[in-house]
Amino acid sequence: MMIFTSLRRWLRNLPLARKLILVQVALIVVPLGAMGYFAFASFAGKIEEQVGKYQLQTLKQVTLNIDTYMNELNRLSLMPYQYEEILDFLASSRAPGQPLSLTEIGQLNNFVSKVFLNGRVDIMGISLVGDKGASYVVLPESQYMTTYQLEGGTEWLEQAKGKFGEPTFITTHEVQSTSGTVYQVFSIARELRSFDSGQILGYIAIDIDPKAVRNLLAQVSMGSEESLYIADSAGDLVLRKDQAAVYPPLGELTQEAGVSHMNVDGQSLLVAHVNSDVTGWTTVGVVPVAELTKDSLVVRNSMMLIGAICVGLAVLISVFIAFRMTMPLRKLRTLMRKVERGDLKVSFPVEQWDEVGQLGNAFNMMVSQLSELGYRLYETEIREKDAEIAALQSKINPHFLYNTLGSISMYAEVEGNREVVKMTNNLSRLLRYSLSGRKEIVTLRDEIEHVRGYMTIQKMRYEDRIHFGLDVEETLLECPVIPLLIQPIVENAINHGLDKGIGEGRINLACRRHQGMLAIVIEDDGIGMTSEQLSVIRQRLHHDYDLGGTSGNGLMNVHRRLRLHYGQQYGVQLESMPFQGLKVTLTMPVTYPMTETG
Amino acid sequence: MTGLSNAKSALTGVMALLTAGLVLAGCGNSASSAESTEAVSTDAVQLEYWTPFSGGDNLFMTEMVDQFNQEHKEIQVVQMNSRLDDYYSRLRTAILSGNAPDVAIIHASSLPRFVQNGYIEDLYEPAQEAGLDFGIFNQTIMKASQFQGRPYAVPLDTHTLVLYYNKTYLSQAGLLDPQGKPILEQGETGFTSFLQQLKRTVPADVAPLAQPSTRIDSVWLWWSLYNQIEGGGAFYDASGTKAVMDNPAALKALTYINGLYASGLIPANITDAFKMFHDGKAAALITGVWATGALEQAEQLDFGVVPLPTLYDKPAAWADSHTLTIPAQHEMTPEKRQAAMIFMKWLAEHGAMWAEAGHVPSVSAVLNAEAFKALNYRSDYAAAANSVVFWPKATKQFSMVEVLIRQFERMIYREQTPEQTLHAAVQEIDAELTK
Repeated sequence: MMIFTSLRRWLRNLPLARKLILVQVALIVVPLGAMGYFAFASFAGKIEEQVGKYQLQTLKQVTLNIDTYMNELNRLSLMPYQYEEILDFLASSRAPGQPLSLTEIGQLNNFVSKVFLNGRVDIMGISLVGDKGASYVVLPESQYMTTYQLEGGTEWLEQAKGKFGEPTFITTHEVQSTSGTVYQVFSIARELRSFDSGQILGYIAIDIDPKAVRNLLAQVSMGSEESLYIADSAGDLVLRKDQAAVYPPLGELTQEAGVSHMNVDGQSLLVAHVNSDVTGWTTVGVVPVAELTKDSLVVRNSMMLIGAICVGLAVLISVFIAFRMTMPLRKLRTLMRKVERGDLKVSFPVEQWDEVGQLGNAFNMMVSQLSELGYRLYETEIREKDAEIAALQSKINPHFLYNTLGSISMYAEVEGNREVVKMTNNLSRLLRYSLSGRKEIVTLRDEIEHVRGYMTIQKMRYEDRIHFGLDVEETLLECPVIPLLIQPIVENAINHGLDKGIGEGRINLACRRHQGMLAIVIEDDGIGMTSEQLSVIRQRLHHDYDLGGTSGNGLMNVHRRLRLHYGQQYGVQLESMPFQGLKVTLTMPVTYPMTETG
Repeated sequence: MTGLSNAKSALTGVMALLTAGLVLAGCGNSASSAESTEAVSTDAVQLEYWTPFSGGDNLFMTEMVDQFNQEHKEIQVVQMNSRLDDYYSRLRTAILSGNAPDVAIIHASSLPRFVQNGYIEDLYEPAQEAGLDFGIFNQTIMKASQFQGRPYAVPLDTHTLVLYYNKTYLSQAGLLDPQGKPILEQGETGFTSFLQQLKRTVPADVAPLAQPSTRIDSVWLWWSLYNQIEGGGAFYDASGTKAVMDNPAALKALTYINGLYASGLIPANITDAFKMFHDGKAAALITGVWATGALEQAEQLDFGVVPLPTLYDKPAAWADSHTLTIPAQHEMTPEKRQAAMIFMKWLAEHGAMWAEAGHVPSVSAVLNAEAFKALNYRSDYAAAANSVVFWPKATKQFSMVEVLIRQFERMIYREQTPEQTLHAAVQEIDAELTK
């Protein structure tokens, strides 16, 4: 279980390409291997079965051939019954060594010639032995030296006796000719009886060159290690093919014909045998199983070789496919690493519109957005730096300024100049708010207070030529806003609206909620702008993110800060007509401090 | 992911094909291996070769055929041997049934009946093509195998009647000279006294001279002695229509032979003269030279051999010759004929090997070859080949000899006198000639 789990983990963490290869190889090797194994196994089994059948068939054929041959001999051995004079000769009573008459010699020669001529070439000798001492033997090699031998061989005689006229086949034995040459022969012997008296007259034996039967065996080939032989019912060897080894499994072969497996000396043998009704002999064919499987081994080896080549090719192809398929993914991974390191100038070449292509496309989009975002971040940082520097410059010794303003206020108090006191205190407050440091977020109320203080000073400067209107929804006062948003716009309105005009001016400040946004509207009734001027400023507002747009214009400054802080959809909008005043609207999201809402 | 599944299905297809291929290859393999076992026969020309040898000579012939087959991979000779007694019956039947062998041994005496009706081929042209020069053969044998000046057979040997003698018995009888040759007086009386001397000295169960009571042996001896007499040796008259051996010379020779049987110098009822001599049961044996090879094998036997003694006016001994012929066949291809000629030429040239069986080689040059001279006994009778007498070249000669055998057997079995024998034989032969 542990192994299984760890294997699964290992598999899960394997690179995709390897996973693919693994799966494909498994899909190729397992079925191919299984198919090969089963094909070979059934093939080997079939071969053995077929060889067994074939062997049996062959043996049956051989046995049939031999039987045919033996039947022919069988008929030949019946020939004396057609020759009355031969039967008479066998029945005649003779003393040992009694010579034959000329007539008898003629008759016997004639009979033997007929047997030789009607029989086969491979007849080597004929023996006629009478029960009462008559005997006539023609030995092999009796060309000019025909032998009339009066004492016959006895071994075959014993075998032929008591068979009631049925033929006996006598296994290979030796016969010596007159010149001393020893011949291997096998014989058919038969008891001859008189029909009239029922008495045994004598015996006939025909000797045959075993080569004839051996040739019948030699026509059969079962393989180089085969053993083919014929044994008689007693298990003695009749003859064998060439010098084939004789295995001794004879006793176990009981049924008439069949194929069986045997183990002799640790060697597995396929043994087929056929019994002959004619001769009573058993034809046995033995082939070592190893010999049979030799052929199938070749097949198996070639199967394995071809299989290995195929698997190798398939693995190669699957490796190629796996790598080819995962290549875009790996490329994507490399590109991502580059992006991780900050290199955003990368692009994934989308070549196909499949899942990988879509992924690459998404990646490309992501990278391009990322690079834009990064640019803005960068710009913001620069701006903030600028702002900081500016603040630092303006912070030059603010306490000195406050103290000085405090002293001026005290002197004015002593002198009873109420205007100076009021102005100085407001100025001091203004400065304090403006230079109060790094406060990022203030409330709208702070901003309004700041503008009010600023306007008090300006009213005194312009001797009440300025009318300042304030209209703020109470609920918005606690809205967090970025500092110093409104004052620059109001200052701008005074500078550009009122300073250039004559007479009285009016500035209205209104804060209201509008479509989920906080809208701060500053209106003046100054000279306003021509449409050309307006479009130039609007153009600048629109391209505010261009680097270098750092001109001190308060309007631009506020606009940029709004957009940087809140987003593209917020900022400053201008409405104006010549001599009709300017209406500046600041928009930002309405948010509430967490402490108040929560 | 479609690409992947496509690739997979393609692979599966390839695998299926490969597996099918493997299985098919397996089947093909097994089939071819089964076929290869049958491919034993080659392109070699197969020659069927019939021989009437048995015993001693056949062993030598089989050896020669084996050696020829080994030296000539493109020709394979298959020998079929049968008993002489049945051989010509078989050959006749085979030729008449269109089943003749490619090469057959035919005795020179039997050639006439095979030359008639074109049963065997004229070898003049085939021999020229094979580069066989008939001039190399002994002229006596060559004459026996030529008809109207055309060669019909390649002579293999000459086999003639010779006298074998048991040196042990001869020296006991004082009849052996220091060279190991028999001491023989001239003429009938000389030979008779030679045998009588033997009869006196050998044990009772040993024959002075062994000759079978039946079969052809006495006919050979008669033909030899008849031809030794000046003016003898005629079988037919000039026209060839009448037998002429009912004459004093023939009677003289036959009477002498009959006397040998009657006096017991040749014992009665001998079935196997060769075996008797072989077993030391005979002091002398008159038979063909073919016995030499077999007698050499007998370890107990100390024997010698000389040409048949001249009892009358001039040396003469019956002889015949094994000749090689090509029986006429319908489908004899030139290749086969050429192969047959090569085989026949080879056999004749290797006469020294054949001489080991006992025969006198047919090629004159072989007689002078070291291989032949090295053989014992053969040189003792090689010269006899020059004074041999063949049977007349008559088509029915074979049957006429059969007539003689039957008549002679009756004489030996005391059923008729020599005069009656010749008379009956002539009558029977004349009747046969008019058929």
